[in-house]
Amino acid sequence: MRQAGKYSGFMMCGGIAGRTGPHSLPLARIKKIMKKSGEDVKMISGEAPIVFSKACELFIEELTRRSWATTLQGKRRTLHKDDVASAIVATDIFDFLVSMVSETASHSEDGTVPEEEETVGSS
Amino acid sequence: MGHKSPLDSVIALCCRAVKRPFITGLLVQPALPRLKLSEINMRLAEINHTKNSAAITNNGAAAATTDENECIVREQDRFMPIANVIRIMRKILPPHAKISDDAKETIQECVSEYISFITGEANERCQREQRKTITAEDVLWAMSKLGFDDYIEPLTLYLHRFREMEGDRGSMRAETLMKTSSRAMTAAEYHAAAAGSFAGFAPFHHHGFFGYLKDASISNGAAGTSLSQQANAVAAMANGDHQASHSQYDDNNK
Repeated sequence: MRQAGKYSGFMMCGGIAGRTGPHSLPLARIKKIMKKSGEDVKMISGEAPIVFSKACELFIEELTRRSWATTLQGKRRTLHKDDVASAIVATDIFDFLVSMVSETASHSEDGTVPEEEETVGSS
Repeated sequence: MGHKSPLDSVIALCCRAVKRPFITGLLVQPALPRLKLSEINMRLAEINHTKNSAAITNNGAAAATTDENECIVREQDRFMPIANVIRIMRKILPPHAKISDDAKETIQECVSEYISFITGEANERCQREQRKTITAEDVLWAMSKLGFDDYIEPLTLYLHRFREMEGDRGSMRAETLMKTSSRAMTAAEYHAAAAGSFAGFAPFHHHGFFGYLKDASISNGAAGTSLSQQANAVAAMANGDHQASHSQYDDNNK
């Protein structure tokens, strides 16, 4: 049985480490965003941004996969913002994102103030 | 301007354009003397160029049109770099797929929202338990609580592997691994080593991070077995979910 080397093993496959170093998303940036999430965020352990760098990758992958499914349904080849919005509305765990996509959708449509409930046009 | 210092030149220009938040940001920076001359020159060029425009769009400074005197929140600080986001998206999409710009930006914003969302929950837990530092375990707990259960296993594995590598560098773990690397390492031995490296880390809440592993006691001997059993199950799942090649795991799982 051959052993995976230190830099060609689990973490490195799938393009995580390939070009930019051990983590695909910048840790300092992640830490900044974490700090801004609340007034009272005090200290962040060194490992937390590392978990997030992988988690955000998984998140982007899932959101992209679901959005692309909507794109395919419309027999298109370009992934649009509406596809992302549809994926968000259709997925329970993405409920926290609904206000983000419905805000801009409302502004572009009729400029009304969006509500907390999902009132996205595309249902 | 004769032979004034770069600082004087900057301040002179700043007085003329004092309402620009960008300049205000410069003024309020106590570190101004430490700005490199090249950087000051660059900013002077920007000021001269964009003095009359409403927005300073260079490098995406997003807050330039506001009247706030607070520190500027630059767009590039609020979001993940779009190139990285796109690269991850392309891994999923077929080669012929196109991505609209607004979709890219939306996903970029969603990522930041995701980080904030999870961090908020993790932070609340820390405060309830009167701890000051948000740990990796808090983040994992928050994700599980907010419905991202599917992420927990690959993330736990990722963290294990990261700690393994960290333990590798310039520590006694390196010796242990080097001795065993001369012959093929089975998955069980790998996990025993991983369990060993855990023992030295900060105590975790057993009902959280290690609650997932269903084993309350973490010691070299006891954890080695249960950890390897759990991790093998996780590895089997990870093999299915991700295309990473786990040559160490394959031995036990195939």
